[in-house]
Amino acid sequence: MAANTMADEPAPVAHHFNNMLQQQSTVRLGMWLFLVTEVLFFGGAFCAYTGYRIWFPKEFEAGSAALNVGIASVNTFLLLTSSLTCTLAIRSAYKGNQFGIKLWLLATIVLGTVFLSLKGREYHLDYEEGLIPTSKRIVIQEEQPDGTFISKERSLFAENVTKVLHKEGYDTTGVYMPRVQLFFVFYYVMTGLHVLHMIIGIGLLSWQLILAQMDFFRHSERYVYIEVMSLYWHFVDMVWMFLLPLLYFAGPHTLHQAIEQFKLALGIASGHH
Amino acid sequence: MTKVPELHYTPQMVPMPELPPEQEANRLHYLNHSYGIFSWLLTVDHKRIGLLYLVSASVFFLFGGLAVALVRLNLITPTGAILELDQYNKAFTAHGTIMLFLFLIPVIPGVLGNFLVPMMIGAKDMAFPKLNLLSWYVWMAGAMFFVWQLTVGGLDTGWTLYPPYSSKYSHTNVLYAGLGIFITGFSSILTAVNIIATIHKMRCPGMTWSRLPLFIWAMYATSLIQLLGTPVIAVTIILLATEKIFGVGIFDPALEGDPILFQHMFWFYSHPAVYIMILPGMGVINETITCFSRKNIFGYKAVAWSSVGIAVVGFLVWGHHMFLAGQGYYLGLLFSILTMLVAVPSAIKVFNWSATLFKGSISFEAPMMYTMGFLVLFTIGGVTGLYLGVLGSDIHLHDTYFVIAHFHFTMVGGMLMAWLAGLHFWWPKMTGKMYSDFWSRLAAVVAIVGFIMTFIPQFILGYNGMPRRYPNYAPEFQFLNILSTAGASIQGIGYLMPLFYLPASLFLGRKAGGNPWMATGLEWQVPSPPPMHNFDSTPVVYFGPYEYSMPNGLGQLEKAGMIFSDEESTIAHAGQSLPEVIRGS
Repeated sequence: MAANTMADEPAPVAHHFNNMLQQQSTVRLGMWLFLVTEVLFFGGAFCAYTGYRIWFPKEFEAGSAALNVGIASVNTFLLLTSSLTCTLAIRSAYKGNQFGIKLWLLATIVLGTVFLSLKGREYHLDYEEGLIPTSKRIVIQEEQPDGTFISKERSLFAENVTKVLHKEGYDTTGVYMPRVQLFFVFYYVMTGLHVLHMIIGIGLLSWQLILAQMDFFRHSERYVYIEVMSLYWHFVDMVWMFLLPLLYFAGPHTLHQAIEQFKLALGIASGHH
Repeated sequence: MTKVPELHYTPQMVPMPELPPEQEANRLHYLNHSYGIFSWLLTVDHKRIGLLYLVSASVFFLFGGLAVALVRLNLITPTGAILELDQYNKAFTAHGTIMLFLFLIPVIPGVLGNFLVPMMIGAKDMAFPKLNLLSWYVWMAGAMFFVWQLTVGGLDTGWTLYPPYSSKYSHTNVLYAGLGIFITGFSSILTAVNIIATIHKMRCPGMTWSRLPLFIWAMYATSLIQLLGTPVIAVTIILLATEKIFGVGIFDPALEGDPILFQHMFWFYSHPAVYIMILPGMGVINETITCFSRKNIFGYKAVAWSSVGIAVVGFLVWGHHMFLAGQGYYLGLLFSILTMLVAVPSAIKVFNWSATLFKGSISFEAPMMYTMGFLVLFTIGGVTGLYLGVLGSDIHLHDTYFVIAHFHFTMVGGMLMAWLAGLHFWWPKMTGKMYSDFWSRLAAVVAIVGFIMTFIPQFILGYNGMPRRYPNYAPEFQFLNILSTAGASIQGIGYLMPLFYLPASLFLGRKAGGNPWMATGLEWQVPSPPPMHNFDSTPVVYFGPYEYSMPNGLGQLEKAGMIFSDEESTIAHAGQSLPEVIRGS
């Protein structure tokens, strides 16, 4: 490749910097500062969530019990692994290993995409079970002790979530459903924002991959661009590490249940009622 | 070895020698090196981006002023002179949102911050020039949502967007406005990242933290608040939009939500946001007050750290907006005490500025007129803020015109005066031309007199119980309201005057020269308008920023046997400090 002849030259420094070290440390600081902002962004949502969870512990526990902890566990594994592969991409760039950069960036992109696919499947399952917050109301027939039926208006969401929780064997006595709905609003907003950040992250990774293909990283000094992009990726990973306990571990789950839920997600569940 | 030239004043560096007039006429600088609309719209030069902000912020200032003209005219009669009830709501909301999000927050960081931060610290450009341009475009995109929202019917919630006005009971364009706030917020985050990274990494050799101009310290503190506060309003708006679009309760008590939570999250940003607005103004005052009293700043470290102090303590006082909103009694007590605390760093600044003036050789050019206006009006605004911070008196004054008068004294009497001081101070540097001395001083007097006439009556109105945001009032309040409207008209003339004499100076003004005010500071040591990359070679700094009281300081440096060469300045990289050479006189 033509690039090999240029590999020994130092990378050009942008016009307003004095040297490469200054440029690298500035780029790095810029990303750290941006991540400070991101911490406060998610922090605001976490605080609002925490406030409601302290006020309504019972309902948030019930809401959490209705979530698919199987998919979340597998996703956690995928995301942590992707942070490793991302870091290996920095190492490759630092060492000047062009093939390594592409390999590890691609691995990170694949792991991220699988995460998003599973998350999409989880949203789909939630949708099928009717766990979508809504103001819609339905009329149900309730059997009285004397055998007659009376019509009663009830929230569609409350009806659906009760059904799911009973299926999981969860006792819903004394659980006030509008508060469970509040839990689900936060569940969708917070995971939705996380998914949005992941999509942006995958976009950044793909851009780096294209740059790698164009031999941009022939100057090993430019590893810093992969490094700052990976800082962002690690941050998105970290957010998930907070979302997982906040949302999924607030309610009781068993290992068996998690495995069954994951099988269901893949469409290979047999004994799930 | 460079021969140190003979000087009549003490700059931070060796000044560029003045060119002979015929060469000066052909000199390439940032304004004339390229022409055409795209050379402006696609520029990554921080100075040109600063001017882009100047033009757009001025336009939005006029919009905001127009909205408040409607409000003040309507208040001439007790029953409302010209507007329907909902039109009145829309007019004051338009005034609030435009002035805050499109003028006060971005104007000094956008215009003076962009233009001056790299020049003051001896850098060629901001740390991320392309990001800098992007933040102007992002800001304009957000602003377009505001303009769109106004053209399709306006917003009537007040700038605070409290639910349920903004959620359940809203029939106006909350979503467009929310999107506008969200996007302009993104822009201010990008600007903040850029400014902090620039201050940390791009300083020229010798520019230590204790030699930074205090404007830089103020911009640093401002950027910290933007970085930490803005994301919280962003997520708050996302939650509000979720509630509004999907009809689910996050802040709706009927659906188990809590409207007070919105107020907490809103003020967690919006109270620090008032420091985003005032801190850059305070930074400007440090520069003008030292220059026009020919003295070093009194208590450099106290002034510098009080900026950071305001930024930190400012995050702990938001609850004083909610004393009567139903937050806990002890929480109110705590916020009241913390609010007293945040007055301390502001007071430190005012005392230090007064001490700087003491026994200085004060001259009253236009920037100094505005600066004196700032000192007096901001102090009144600050002191009346304490009435509102005290739990007991706030119960009487909450949501009255007293509050309006208080924050206009800080935001207009403080921030706007500081902005005009800064604009007049650095206008010769930006354009190379000097504006009319007479008209600029007259404009300052008219604006200050009009301001006092507008807002002093509002203190009395508020104390007597006239509530804010009402289009109607009791007939006995009419005299003071007419007085206030008359004052607002005079004030308006004062703000319109620069719109004529500043552009006129471009064609009629005399050449300003590199340093018309004989000021210290790196930006004054290059010709006006500055060259494309600010400095022909990297400057080296040996002094603090305000060494006005040390005549012929570089001569002293030479006598002290300190030698410096051009090579030295090119090998040292930014942020690296040379050994302490000479401090003070």
